[in-house]
Amino acid sequence: MAELKTFQGGIHPPYHKELASGKAIKPAPIPSEVIIHLQQHIGAPCEPLVSEGDRVEVGQKIGEAQAFVSAPVHASVSGTVKAITEATNFTGAKVRSVVITPDKDQPEFAKKPGKDLEALTAEEIREIAKEAGLVGMGGAAFPTHVKITPPSDKPIDTVIVNACECEPFLTCDHRLLLERTDDIIAGARLLKTAVGAGKVVFGVEANKMDAVDALRSRASSYPDVEVEVLEVKYPEGAEKMLIFALTGRKVPPGKLPSEVGCLVQNVGTAVALYEAAAWGKPLYERVVTVTGPGVREPANLLARIGTPISVLLEACGGLVGNPVKLIMGGPMTGWAQPDASAPVVKGTSGVVVLTSDVVDLGEESECVRCGKCVEVCPMFLSPNFIVQSVRRGQWDKAEMWGALDCFECGCCSYQCPAYIPHVQYVRKAKAEIAALKKK
Amino acid sequence: MALNNLIVTPPPHLKSKEQTAIAMRDVLIALAPITIAALVAFTYNALFNIVVCVGSAMFFEWAARKIRKKQVTLKDGSAAVTGLLLALLLPAKIHWLNMIIASFVAVVIVKELMGGLGRNIFNPALFGFVFILIGSGFLASWTGHLGFLPAGFDGVQTATPLAYIKHGLDGAPSYAALLFANYGGAISEVGCFWILLGGAYLIYRKVINWVIPVTILATVFILAYILGSDGLYHILAGGLMLGAFFMATDWVTSPMNRWGQVVFGLIIGICVVLIRLYGGPSGAVAYSILIGNAFVPLLDRVFKPKRFGEVVAA
Repeated sequence: MAELKTFQGGIHPPYHKELASGKAIKPAPIPSEVIIHLQQHIGAPCEPLVSEGDRVEVGQKIGEAQAFVSAPVHASVSGTVKAITEATNFTGAKVRSVVITPDKDQPEFAKKPGKDLEALTAEEIREIAKEAGLVGMGGAAFPTHVKITPPSDKPIDTVIVNACECEPFLTCDHRLLLERTDDIIAGARLLKTAVGAGKVVFGVEANKMDAVDALRSRASSYPDVEVEVLEVKYPEGAEKMLIFALTGRKVPPGKLPSEVGCLVQNVGTAVALYEAAAWGKPLYERVVTVTGPGVREPANLLARIGTPISVLLEACGGLVGNPVKLIMGGPMTGWAQPDASAPVVKGTSGVVVLTSDVVDLGEESECVRCGKCVEVCPMFLSPNFIVQSVRRGQWDKAEMWGALDCFECGCCSYQCPAYIPHVQYVRKAKAEIAALKKK
Repeated sequence: MALNNLIVTPPPHLKSKEQTAIAMRDVLIALAPITIAALVAFTYNALFNIVVCVGSAMFFEWAARKIRKKQVTLKDGSAAVTGLLLALLLPAKIHWLNMIIASFVAVVIVKELMGGLGRNIFNPALFGFVFILIGSGFLASWTGHLGFLPAGFDGVQTATPLAYIKHGLDGAPSYAALLFANYGGAISEVGCFWILLGGAYLIYRKVINWVIPVTILATVFILAYILGSDGLYHILAGGLMLGAFFMATDWVTSPMNRWGQVVFGLIIGICVVLIRLYGGPSGAVAYSILIGNAFVPLLDRVFKPKRFGEVVAA
């Protein structure tokens, strides 16, 4: 077999996709209350459009974006607004949130009369994405309408659909690829229209060949859609790595994919865009993989935004073993939770529970300069020297060694024999450098 | 639900099996073949050297950490590795005080006083070795003459294979002997095949990569021929194999990036040949690697990897 396309560097962590990859998507239970953050994306927070005691219908806009880089939020259930209050999000930050008590009976979402998707203009698609509150659903949650409004001097020729799902354990994108193949292709072609690109390329890691086959058979009637198989390697699905693997183009430091004529969107975002355009459905629910050795029956759940993760865990039969880490997102970049109270947001791809037998909390020791962090860094940075600079408070040196180019994939810490938490040091460096630049 | 034990740490939440202590253990495993060969060849003399060197290295590290009020790090195995490498560099008949001094210099001065494992610039075992090499001159004749101590020690009176490099190869050991046989010199000079075996294991285990050893061996091989010497003899004889696979590849004291490693290997290789041909016959590899060590901070800076997508201004 020919060598698969990929990037340089990276790691091969244990994937454990088998825990959930065979589980069809099923709806999660409606919780006794949903907590919908008014900021669950990169950008400005929303202003609430409802007040305490108001009745809301599922899909109703309850928070309006106050800036271009922002995305409105919608009620994920029909019910009554219980409170508008501060709630703790998955990062531990307090954010203004709308708490809704759902009705006993939840209506099916009423699809709007179908539109001719082929006839939509770029402007209309952007508007649809904005109104539906779409954000990147791979985790970063960047508002989609902003991303599909590229600068006019940077023409986009290729839309890349990120179907790598390179994070270990997670399978929500895999399930979508299998169960919603046509909708994903339709959504991807809408993205293509929105940015005026010539083609759509799907990048799928080789551990999902069933998804590759599904995509290829369904896309065969579209000459503008290509499906590429990529090596199974983390972080294959990182934007810059994926663009390089598929096109050979390198996004320069500090620049966006539009610089090299590409737009990258996640599978989930493509589905959401399709649903918004074809059915008039805003983004109020998403597929969340609940998995890990600490979960009794791993599953891919279609969960309403605002559902506390404790509800999802219960729906999966509760916990087994000795759970010591509850992670929102994937195990490489996700956020460890102090409890199971955080609600699902638009960017929540998974809830992973790790048990004491798989969590290795070795003690941080002195760097022995083995160079493995340099070897695995997909951005060709020197993580050990960033750490050294941070320890010495030399922020200019930290920047020189590439702190600002780090996208925190965590390969360095994964590989480090001395258990150094490079990502934490990099975050510190970024904050300090930003503070210095403000002065 | 039982969620009382949740631990909150920054990502990533997965960790490879790599650990400093496991890497050191791998180095010890990789040194097993040559150590066994040395024990077979020199029996209790080699055993005595190894016990004294490893024991004193571990004791000095323990003591230095205690005095510095730092956590004792014997578990990471680096002191044991330093001790064993030092023992392997020394001849069978050498006064124990030399070994203690070398061990002290290696562990206390070169490593701990520089800040401990990870902060030393020079390879501790090599530095300790060179210190007594210069200080006591014991290798000059291999007779056990001890500069620090009265002479009269019962030593081995044979020319080392390196002596032939300068004075012609008549009567020198054959290639096969260099690969497999005991021909005098340090206790590790009992067949470099056993060292190659260990080196291959380290590469297989990904503790080291092939760049540094291959560059060194290739440089020595080619340069020796260019200068009219026997390249193959050069790479098989003396401590070159041990140095190339086990000392120049020391994580702490070698460059982190590929091209830095290549230049590092070149520097060492060139020095080895020049010292062997135009300098004294003993310690060429040790001196060369220490010279290479000194270049490491510079090489790390000069060969800083080019960031992904970075365009170099023309």
